Amino acid sequence: SQSHSPTPGAPTWPRPPQPPLHCGYNLPSMQCLLPPSLCVSIADPAVISPQDPTLLIGSSLVATCTVSPDFHLGAEDLYWTLNGRRLPAASYATLGPTTLSVALAHLNGSKQQSGDNLVCHSRDGGILAGSCLYVGLPPEKPVNISCWSKNMKDLTCKWAPGTEGETFLHTNYTLKYKLRWYGRDNTCQEYHTAGPYSCHIPKDLALFTPYEIWVEASNRLGVAVSDVVMLDILDVVTTDPPPDVHVSRVGDLEDQLSVRWSSPPALKDFLFQAKYQIQYRVEDSSEWKVVDDVGNQTSCRLAGLRPGTVYFVQVRCNPFGIYGSKKAGIWSDWSIPTAASTPRSERAAGGCDPKGGEQNTTLRRELKQFFGWVKKHAYGCSNLGIKLYDQWRVWLQKSHKARNQVGKEPFTLLSLPWGGQWGAGGGLCGARTRWLRGAPFISAGASRR
Amino acid sequence: MAAADSTSTTLQRRDLCSRGIRLAGKMRSDVVDLLDTYVEQQGLDASASVAAVEGVPVAAVERWDEQTGTQRLLENLAAYRAFRALLAQMLEEQQEQLGEADATLGQALAAVLLQVSAFTYHLEELLRLENRGPPSEEAAVLPVLPPLSLFERKLRGLGVLRELAQWAVRSVRDLRQLAKPGPGSSAAPSPAESP
Repeated sequence: SQSHSPTPGAPTWPRPPQPPLHCGYNLPSMQCLLPPSLCVSIADPAVISPQDPTLLIGSSLVATCTVSPDFHLGAEDLYWTLNGRRLPAASYATLGPTTLSVALAHLNGSKQQSGDNLVCHSRDGGILAGSCLYVGLPPEKPVNISCWSKNMKDLTCKWAPGTEGETFLHTNYTLKYKLRWYGRDNTCQEYHTAGPYSCHIPKDLALFTPYEIWVEASNRLGVAVSDVVMLDILDVVTTDPPPDVHVSRVGDLEDQLSVRWSSPPALKDFLFQAKYQIQYRVEDSSEWKVVDDVGNQTSCRLAGLRPGTVYFVQVRCNPFGIYGSKKAGIWSDWSIPTAASTPRSERAAGGCDPKGGEQNTTLRRELKQFFGWVKKHAYGCSNLGIKLYDQWRVWLQKSHKARNQVGKEPFTLLSLPWGGQWGAGGGLCGARTRWLRGAPFISAGASRR
Repeated sequence: MAAADSTSTTLQRRDLCSRGIRLAGKMRSDVVDLLDTYVEQQGLDASASVAAVEGVPVAAVERWDEQTGTQRLLENLAAYRAFRALLAQMLEEQQEQLGEADATLGQALAAVLLQVSAFTYHLEELLRLENRGPPSEEAAVLPVLPPLSLFERKLRGLGVLRELAQWAVRSVRDLRQLAKPGPGSSAAPSPAESP
């Protein structure tokens, strides 16, 4: 014969065979498998009124629980709980042989957004009926709506909820938009695409006509509508990050790296006034240095870098003035970081310097040039000092520059020890670089124009 | 030749069973976590007992150890098909009531729903291996229930998750029985094999 009992010491499954137990309640759709004292029914042994009400914070409520006569329970057999806490008998009133009421005054906001649980129990603890109370405040109007269009093809908007709007009751947000003068209301469909309070309109957007955009907040206690924002898609365009970012060494120059990138392809034809920014950092630091004003060039040299160091570089684009828009553009996301290292400093390494002789020759030649210049321009000057040397450097650089403009190489001279500027004509980038320490500089590469 | 086929089927069954056991174990663990989240978000008493609800397959079974392998698979399949429908309904109601903003509960529910679907498919595969295709899904359609109040929905959800957790335990045991070598998995296990 086979045993029907579980193996001794076995976990809880399968349960030992037992006849199904019933709650004692006449529940056609339910069958309780637990002893009656523990049984919870979700049918209708009793009815609570009001069922699932919505109330303002601070309001009062009288709820009643009426037990079905089939259950042979009287009002004296009942008690109430709110979120699992037994309510004091002083707040009860017997309204009939099978009806017990409870009075709740000055209600606080709902403990959970799914509603407070007001439950009517039988004396043995069983749940006879329950009602969810939604206690809160009407929504407040959403604020700070801001929108951007990626490549003029779509529109994403973000907003902030009104203060306390969602503290107690779940609030629904609906972003609506229409063409300003003759459009009909449209409703945005793709929510949470850029964070909790955001919506994305993927297509069917018109250019050259302003849109009216607003957000409606609604909860069980009402609706609040934000102020209407008016915008033209062309005024809020942003792009993909610049693609093909390449960072490479500049010959043997140990303090420089060259950065090149492409215009975002989707807007290549419109980016006459695009601005770019570069940021870079050393491998072991989280602190980015930003090169503010690269202009619309698509290459740039970073200088004043540490020799033998890995740098991460990112570029972003700001497309402004598209089709004559007067608004400042919106910066794209940063490109994915690209890494490159500067050459090692041979002198710092303290090793053999195979170019030592070469450098000496250069220095001697430079000094010779310097003294020749002194003879010609400052003969008899007793105030021979570093300022004079600086003046000579300026002269030297100007003469190099003139030579370079004639030739093909745009920038060969990179060193400006006093941090001065060359003037914008040569496409210098980094005039407004935000440096954190030291006095590095940026020198421009070729302009895309 | 026939012997080789039989060996291959046995190995396949064992493989499917062992993967099913792992899946059911993970499902059990996730459902228990989901229950904690659910009870907290709904403000319910974790120890509250809920009656069996129509449409929710009851894991309790009599004469479990007398069941054949096919019987076990069929009962499991019917149960998980029902849970798949019940969880989908819970997810829909949850999103309707609290929107997508309540991401924690919604995501956890969706994840468990996915596991239930995967396990259902797994059971169908096992049934195919038994040379018995899975029965039509029509039988798994939920009965039309009277509209429930919001509080009743909360309790029903609690009941569904609790029963699913129990089923996950039962399924592990069922698949262990199926995986045992013996003269045909479809036969009832001997008393010594009963849990």
